[in-house]
Amino acid sequence: MKFSKFLMAAGLAAAVAMPLATQSAQAAGILTVAISIDPGSWDPIDTFVVPWGSVGSNIYDGLTSRGPDMKLQPGLATSWELLDNNNRIRFKLRQNVKFHNGEPFNAGAVKFTFDRLLGDEGKKGPQQSNYNSIDHVEIVDDYTVDFVMKQPDPVLLTKLAGYGGMIVPPKYIQEKGDEYFNTHPVGTGPFKFVEYTPKVSLTLEAFPEHWGGAPKLDKVVYRIIAEANTQVAELQAGRVDIANLVPFGLAPTIEKSPDLKLVSITGPTVVSLRLNTKNGITKDVNVRKALIMAIDRDAIIKAVLLGHAKPIASFQSDLSFGYDPALKPLPFDLAKAKQLLQQAGVPAGSTVKIDFRGPDATFREVAQASAGFLQALGLKVSLQPYETPVLLNDIIPNGKTGEAWQNAWGGWTFDYDNTAYLMYHSGEKWNPYDNDAKLNALLEKQRSIYDVKEREKILREVAAYVAEQALEIPLYNENTVMGVNKRVKNLVPPADRRFRFTDVSVD
Amino acid sequence: MAGFILKRLLQAVFVVLAVTLIVSFAVRLSGDPAIMLTGAGSVTEQDLKNIRQALGLERPFIVQYLSFLQGIVVGDFGRSFMGGTSVSKLIGQALPATLLLAFASLLTSIAVSIPLGVYAAVKRGGAPDQLIRILSLVGLSFPNFWLAIMMVLFFSITLGWLPPSGMEGPKSFIMPALTMAIILTATNVRLVRTSMLETLSQQYIMVARSKGLKDWVVLYKHALRNSAIPLVTYVGVQFGNLIGSIVIVERVFNWPGMGTLAFDAISARDYPVLQGSITVLALFIVLINLVVDIAYGLIDPRIRTE
Repeated sequence: MKFSKFLMAAGLAAAVAMPLATQSAQAAGILTVAISIDPGSWDPIDTFVVPWGSVGSNIYDGLTSRGPDMKLQPGLATSWELLDNNNRIRFKLRQNVKFHNGEPFNAGAVKFTFDRLLGDEGKKGPQQSNYNSIDHVEIVDDYTVDFVMKQPDPVLLTKLAGYGGMIVPPKYIQEKGDEYFNTHPVGTGPFKFVEYTPKVSLTLEAFPEHWGGAPKLDKVVYRIIAEANTQVAELQAGRVDIANLVPFGLAPTIEKSPDLKLVSITGPTVVSLRLNTKNGITKDVNVRKALIMAIDRDAIIKAVLLGHAKPIASFQSDLSFGYDPALKPLPFDLAKAKQLLQQAGVPAGSTVKIDFRGPDATFREVAQASAGFLQALGLKVSLQPYETPVLLNDIIPNGKTGEAWQNAWGGWTFDYDNTAYLMYHSGEKWNPYDNDAKLNALLEKQRSIYDVKEREKILREVAAYVAEQALEIPLYNENTVMGVNKRVKNLVPPADRRFRFTDVSVD
Repeated sequence: MAGFILKRLLQAVFVVLAVTLIVSFAVRLSGDPAIMLTGAGSVTEQDLKNIRQALGLERPFIVQYLSFLQGIVVGDFGRSFMGGTSVSKLIGQALPATLLLAFASLLTSIAVSIPLGVYAAVKRGGAPDQLIRILSLVGLSFPNFWLAIMMVLFFSITLGWLPPSGMEGPKSFIMPALTMAIILTATNVRLVRTSMLETLSQQYIMVARSKGLKDWVVLYKHALRNSAIPLVTYVGVQFGNLIGSIVIVERVFNWPGMGTLAFDAISARDYPVLQGSITVLALFIVLINLVVDIAYGLIDPRIRTE
């Protein structure tokens, strides 16, 4: 064969490939959403991952729900009241609500849901622990139930809007079994399940009889795409309408595209560098303050996160209950930091080791920037990446960290209680070094207070105290960033990515 | 011959056993699946214990391992920790996807490397030969994920011809298969060239030429057949390597194959899925090597008596 012949063959191959070219146009009435992980089960009590919520909130309803503004609103319960010295919460239920399989929603379904969650089936999953303050549910009449509490839980109403509180159909589960339910979910939500291919996709279709009105869309297709770059490529190619994973670096690309819109809103995720109060130079509170003041957090937000984050003073977002707008972080002040360090008698060249999640490319840059700032302070900084599960399951809980470590947290309840308790109460996994009687007392006290104002006051006290003790370098509250095709109309993106597509339509 | 095959089979069984033991043991060294399942939630030690109990992780390692082995024998790899889907079902879905992609890559590579390699051998030392050698060096040095991303940018986003990811019809094979094929071709071209050069210097080629046979008949009928032997055996080995290196390409193209399955399982510490997929991959590679060994033995009696 002559080389020219080979070229000809290659040209021929290209010519054959040409007719394959099609502009991938999306069908009207079908919304396609890219999510990062397949939870494996669509049963509300089996998982905690965010992508479950992006799907589950369309299939199920809870007694309460949260709008895109994260404010609590009625769901399958229309009203509630505290009885019996706060030991009992009575819910009036919505009437004429049906599950997708035709089963009626009533008090029996609520009782079944919580018996299941709090019983043996719930024991196998991660959701039960969020609801342990409930002792049991009592049926008063067909549309009234009482939650009898084991201990006070002021966050319960919020938790009832959480994954584990989603109401499931008793007859369906009893007849088909839990395993079948995992992959063939049925709820009362605006969309019903059609098809699921593990690790590939899940399809829902409109449930016109939904109590909140019929959805405008015909179908929602969720595609499971783990790689952020791939999600964005699919979005750019017009084959995905909403990309949930957008690397900060690609945000400008989406902003520039005429067909796409970048959504960047306050999210639940907060990031800090927690400090070791037991060993190393960070034992001294003034040294910890010096470290905070040495790091220009605004610069990091601007340069590394391209502005898709906000500075924080405590370990919570401004959507969180307990957030105090009056609390300000220590300012960036290198001179003052140097002075503090000198007064504390820290010799130049003292070491600071920062532990972080190795696969987290964004934080790697944040850590490098922080290291740079601390070097300017005259410290010797080393960066130690770990595989995420190793850092979270071994290094932090067992107190094997360096002077500082990455703490990243998505407070799904948007209530500082849960976060603060797990972070600062003694004996908690995320708090390997501190045991502060004052903090313990405050954290315990607010757990029994239903009075909103009073509880908020205590939570703000906790935040102020933690800041005063400089237990961590508060870095930033990361935005929830997603890419959306402009053909998607009426989408109000929720901070927690728990979409509810009832009013959404596509051109 | 029967003895030889039996010996090789026994070795294969031993290798697979060793792989399963190492994988099952190593995966348990880091990370607790119960913690992975609960995220960073407000779980107590008792909650974690309950979950571990439900997953069967409270049993001693040796019991867990033996029940895993027992499962393999009957083709049951257990259930995924995430949602309880049967691992065999997940593998049944992922393995064909990976094999199809591997075959497509291999075929593409062979289809390109043979003509290029032969041409380079014929024009030995000339400009085309140099060019092909340089190109193949460039192909070898490309990081394949970069190549994949460039192709996506060009073919999917700029031109809108090909789907950027997923496995949906023949079109979706083009980019992932090409990405893999370019890396393979870089090696294969060199192999064909070397092998061809050696064959071309043989006397029977001179005889063929002196008979007045046409150039292409000599090259493709006489020379190529004889120089194909090393290529064929190498391709067998390559197929095994291919399966191993397919992970990154699968991830970039969101290919629902074994690589994606195993990668996700590692991240989630989903022991049954990880053990199952690694075992199946190991079985596969062992099987290919076995076939190559046996084929060798059939072709060359000297190997049988070794």
